[in-house]
Amino acid sequence: MKHFEGTPRLLRELRSLRVLVFHPDDHDGQELISQLHRIGCQVKAYWPPLEQLPEETKLIFFAIRPEILTMDLPWLGREDTPPVVPVVTYENPVIVEAVLKLNAFGVIASPVKSSGMLTAIVVALSQSEKFRERERYISRLEQRLAGQRKIAKAKVILMKSKNLSEEAAYNLIRSRAMAKRLTTEEIADALIKADDILGG
Amino acid sequence: MKKRPNDSIRIGVLFSETGVTSVIEKSERLGTLLAVDEINETGGINGHALELVSYDPQSSPAKYALLAQKLLLEDHVQVILGCYMSSQRKAVIPVVERWNGLLMYPTLYEGFEFSRNVICTGAAPNQNSVQLADFMLRTYGSRGFMVGSDYIYPYESNRIMSDLVFERGGEKVAEIYLPLDASKDNYEVVVQKIKQTSPDFIFSTIVGDGTALLHRAFANAGLDPRKMPIASLSTCEAEIQQMGAELAEGHITSAPYFQSVDTEANRRCLENFRKRFGDASVTNMCWEAAYFQTHLLANAMRRVGSDNVADLLTVLPGSEFSAPQGDIKIDEHNHHTYLRPRIGRANAAGQFDILCESESWVHPDPYLVSHTLQDWSAPLTTLVPTARP
Repeated sequence: MKHFEGTPRLLRELRSLRVLVFHPDDHDGQELISQLHRIGCQVKAYWPPLEQLPEETKLIFFAIRPEILTMDLPWLGREDTPPVVPVVTYENPVIVEAVLKLNAFGVIASPVKSSGMLTAIVVALSQSEKFRERERYISRLEQRLAGQRKIAKAKVILMKSKNLSEEAAYNLIRSRAMAKRLTTEEIADALIKADDILGG
Repeated sequence: MKKRPNDSIRIGVLFSETGVTSVIEKSERLGTLLAVDEINETGGINGHALELVSYDPQSSPAKYALLAQKLLLEDHVQVILGCYMSSQRKAVIPVVERWNGLLMYPTLYEGFEFSRNVICTGAAPNQNSVQLADFMLRTYGSRGFMVGSDYIYPYESNRIMSDLVFERGGEKVAEIYLPLDASKDNYEVVVQKIKQTSPDFIFSTIVGDGTALLHRAFANAGLDPRKMPIASLSTCEAEIQQMGAELAEGHITSAPYFQSVDTEANRRCLENFRKRFGDASVTNMCWEAAYFQTHLLANAMRRVGSDNVADLLTVLPGSEFSAPQGDIKIDEHNHHTYLRPRIGRANAAGQFDILCESESWVHPDPYLVSHTLQDWSAPLTTLVPTARP
C-alpha cells in the first residue's frame, strides 16, 4: 500500500453527495436515512421507486422487493446511471437475481446497521467511477484500432495502384494528411471510399 | 436453573388470533398448547411446569417485532414459539439475535436462511416443492399456471417450480401475484384466465384467507379438480375447514404431515388432542410442527436443566423425536429439520388421502439453488404410493 497522500476525494465529497433512497418507510428505511444524514449526504427518499431520477443523483440505495423484478425502471442500464446499492432482506435466488439486474456496485444487508454503510457508499462510488473510466478507455482503444485497420487497408490500396513500398505508401498518406490538415485516419478513409467507387 | 421447586418456566408464544393468516396460526397455537399440557402432565421440566406467555400479533410483521421484544425484555422469556409468514419471521429474527433469544418456527418456508437463534421445523423446498412438482408433472402434465400471494415465499417457490417445469420441457402458462387482502373479484379474474388458458394444473402459493376465495372461484367457474387440480404447499386441513370440504375435494397438497398419517404417535396424539379440544378438532402440517417442536424444546430443557439459550443450542441441533409424521431430527448444521415428504389429495371428508410418502426422512437443504428432478430420482423411488382401500 502507498503512503498517505491526503484524504481521498470521494471521502471529502461525501457531504455534497446527492443520495437517492428507494425504500419503504419502515425500521430499515429510517435507519438508512438517519445514517446517511449522520454521514452528511444530501438525501431524498421515495417508495415506490421513481421512473425518472432527480437531477444530479450520484448514488441510489434500493430496497430489493420481489416486485421490482417486473418493474419498469427506464433509468437503469444507461451510460449515466448512478451506482446502485441494493438493501437485501431475503437472501434467496429471486432476490439475488434482482440485485444482478440492478448492476449493483455493493450491497448492504437488512437489518440495516449504521456500521458498514460509509464503506459501502465509498466502495460503490469508487468502483463505478473506475468502471466508467475503463469503459471510456475501451471505447477510445476501439476507435484507435478501427483507425489502424483503415490505414493498413489504405496502404495496401496505394501499394498496389502506385506500386509503392509499404513505407512510401504510409509517407504519402501522412503527407496528404498534413497538407489537407486532416488525420491520417481520415485520409485513409477517403482513399478506401475512392477505391470503392472506382471499383478497386 | 435458579428456580424454586414450584416456579414455572415461561415460554413466549406468537401466533395471530386475528388477521389474514389467523386461521392457520390459531391451529399452530393449539398444537403448542397440546404439547405443553402433555409435558406438564408428565412432570414438566424436571418438576417445573411450562407456562406460556401468548400475545396476538394480528398477522402484522411490525407487531411481531414489538411483541417479540416485549417477551424477551419485559416477560423475560428465553424462547419464542411462533410466526407463520416469512415477513413475520424476518421481523422477529433481528430481535432474537439482538437479545439472544431463541425462535422456533413451525412453518414451511422458501429457504435461504440460517440464524444461530432460529430453529425451523417446517419443510424447506427440497422437502415439499420437488416432490409436488414431480407428482404433478407425472400425473397431470407439464403446463402449470402459477398464482400466489404477493410476498417473498410465492416468488421463490415459483422460481423453483418454473425450473422443474422447464426441465420437463413444460410451459409456465402464467405467473400472477395477488395482494394478501385481495377480493373475491380478484380471484374470479384469475380463475377466468385459468379457464381460458386451460393448463394441466394450477400451482397455488396463495396463503391465508385467499385460499378459500381461490377455491370458491374455481368451483363457481365449473372447473374440475380431477382434470386440473390446484397444487399447493400450504393448503391444509385448517384452510379446508375454513372453506368447506366440497371446495377442496380433489386438490393436491405436498406436506410432511396430514391428519390421516397412519402412525402410532399420530393416533395417540389425536386422541389427546380431541380429549382436550373436542371431537371435531382437526390437525395439519403446521399444527404438527408446532406440536413436536415444543416437545423437542422440553426434552432439550430437561437435558440441560435450563432455559438458557446458549445451553439449549448445545443439545437442540441433532436432537430427535418420534413425531406424529414419523421420526424427525434437527440438523446439526443448518437448524432445519429432517422431515418425511408426502403427497395428499383432499377428500370429501375434508381430510387427505395420502397418495405417496417417503420411506425415510429427507435431509433439509435450505440453500439448494438448483433443484432438479434427476437429483430426486433416488429419493423419489422411495416415495411410494401407499396402499389404501
